[in-house]
Amino acid sequence: MFDLLLEGAPLYFSAASVLLTVLGIIGGLVIGVLPGLGPLMGIVLLLPVAFHLEPIPAMAMLIAVYVGGSAGGSISAILLRIPGTPLAAATLFDGYPLAQKGRSQDAIGLSITASSLGGLVAGIVLIFFSPVLADFALKFAPPEYAAMALLGLLTIAVVSEGSAIKGMLAGGLGLAVATVGTDEFTQAYRYTFGTINLTSGPNLVAVVVGLFALSELFVQVEGGNFRDRPQIQKLRISFRALRLIVNHRWNVVRSALLGTGLGAIPGAGGDVSAFVSYAVAKRLAAEEDGYGEGAEGGVVATEAANNGTCGGALIPTLSLGIPGDASTAVLLGALFLLGFFPGPELFQYHADVAGGIFLAYLASNVVLIVLGILLVPFFGTVLKVPKAWLLPLVLLLSTMGTYALQNSVFDLWVMLAFGCIGYVLRKASYPLAPIIIGMILGPVLENNFRRALLLSRDGPMIFLERPISATILAIAAVMLVYVTVTTLRPRKAR
Amino acid sequence: MKLREHAYDWLAWILIGAVPLLIFWQNATSLSDQGVASGGPMSNAAAYPSIIAWILLALSLINALRIVAGQISQRSPLDPTATTRLALIATGLFVVYLLCLGWLGYYLTTPVLLAVLFAMLGLSPLAAIAGAIAATLLVAAVFEGLLNVVLPLGIFSFTLFG
Repeated sequence: MFDLLLEGAPLYFSAASVLLTVLGIIGGLVIGVLPGLGPLMGIVLLLPVAFHLEPIPAMAMLIAVYVGGSAGGSISAILLRIPGTPLAAATLFDGYPLAQKGRSQDAIGLSITASSLGGLVAGIVLIFFSPVLADFALKFAPPEYAAMALLGLLTIAVVSEGSAIKGMLAGGLGLAVATVGTDEFTQAYRYTFGTINLTSGPNLVAVVVGLFALSELFVQVEGGNFRDRPQIQKLRISFRALRLIVNHRWNVVRSALLGTGLGAIPGAGGDVSAFVSYAVAKRLAAEEDGYGEGAEGGVVATEAANNGTCGGALIPTLSLGIPGDASTAVLLGALFLLGFFPGPELFQYHADVAGGIFLAYLASNVVLIVLGILLVPFFGTVLKVPKAWLLPLVLLLSTMGTYALQNSVFDLWVMLAFGCIGYVLRKASYPLAPIIIGMILGPVLENNFRRALLLSRDGPMIFLERPISATILAIAAVMLVYVTVTTLRPRKAR
Repeated sequence: MKLREHAYDWLAWILIGAVPLLIFWQNATSLSDQGVASGGPMSNAAAYPSIIAWILLALSLINALRIVAGQISQRSPLDPTATTRLALIATGLFVVYLLCLGWLGYYLTTPVLLAVLFAMLGLSPLAAIAGAIAATLLVAAVFEGLLNVVLPLGIFSFTLFG
């Protein structure tokens, strides 16, 4: 455990990495505070910048945005009763009532402190379990990798919000998009429609920016209220939360562990873990604690859990190459594009990079507690920026960021096309994350599937003859049966 | 068919349903012509996409049956809001921007796009123009000055920070 950190220390502890962690946390908090944006949008917008940096500073910046963005959403939930991100939805229960009692600073301070401590607990679990899981994955051969990629995608598709069928359709769409380009085995051009721009497949960043950022902009414009400036009470810097959090130490640890555990299940997400942790904390609390009426414990439980989820989601991402949610899918994509392949090989051949990423995650959570408290007055100002300024700026950053990757206007058309597709799918309540995860896992699934068949003398039976791949496929089959049963059940109930 | 009530569901169904058809069409034409649409796992580049296409087709069929049978609880009508028209105009404007970007370059097209968008969203003309110029220069300074990216130069080959 400590070996990895020691190996990663020289890589992480550079001026660039530390500075980008600080900037990433500030950027993440700001984007998390703004309703409708969130950590994923932050990562997406900074992805093109990351590719112009060295790998560890780049990952440090993106991870900091992930951590900061996940924590920032609670601030607008507390002050405006509008969660900045879906992750902060459960923080409304007690955060807003606590602010209404004139304790906005305490509520924000507690949410930031709980987020940070929750993230640190998750970081310890991440550092401990990722190498163990990666070590186990060393036993994997192509059949196991193919089965694992299939199970990961299926889990995300099924557990994502909305119906399981829609989740699976979205995942399938991602797999189909991933087949566009040059086939690795035959070097043939597949589904490129004669254009040279598609020989490497559609640019992942253009697809991500289109699906998430552009479709969100369209939804935001449809929402109106471009010049609204919410009324926010004056905020001051206060360190009182550092004292208050001591009273909730067990709540922090319990909620963070719950968040980490749920986060490690691909697709479960921070919003689920925040609601579960809140329910557990409420059940264990005394009635006079007043959960739902501004209880400090409610804010602590939800925030420790949703930042714990970030660390949890990084476990399968780094050790198996199976992303835990949409944000970690994009982080995984970033790591791919920076030249590293998450999974056992990362720990075996690039232990320093794995260690650097762990340190970046831990440092982000430490920086979060300091900056989160110091910048409280600034967040009040950020919340007053009208959408009329914000939306065109996000469009400009998305456009130039996507263009900058390959100096390609074609990528911008891809971005626009996926923006339109993303908008229609959103309106029809399709989850978008499985598309990206399908795109990332697609090549892993196809290459290992075909390699496994090449190795096999018995056709597809190789997947069932090997114990690990058979077990993984059995889990996938159980999941499919469960989905089929639950999909059919509502009709019977009616 | 509940077309109106589930309009976006049907649109999404058409979008996703078209993918397997495209795959089958390309397998039968382009991939066959390249000689990679048959054989074993090494030489058959069409087999895996075909599996994905069949799965998508089956799931699309199930989804269509669910919509028709009223098993989708969430409605998705077109229901435009007061600002949907604005969103469509902004999208059209962005298409024009993309068409002109390579030709006229970043410095000529971006301030115009931003100023029009700012004004459309309710900012005063002066604020819109000032904001557009400031944002154009700031983004150019970051991308060209810090990240060494060459932003679209256009026919005038104009750059400020490159």
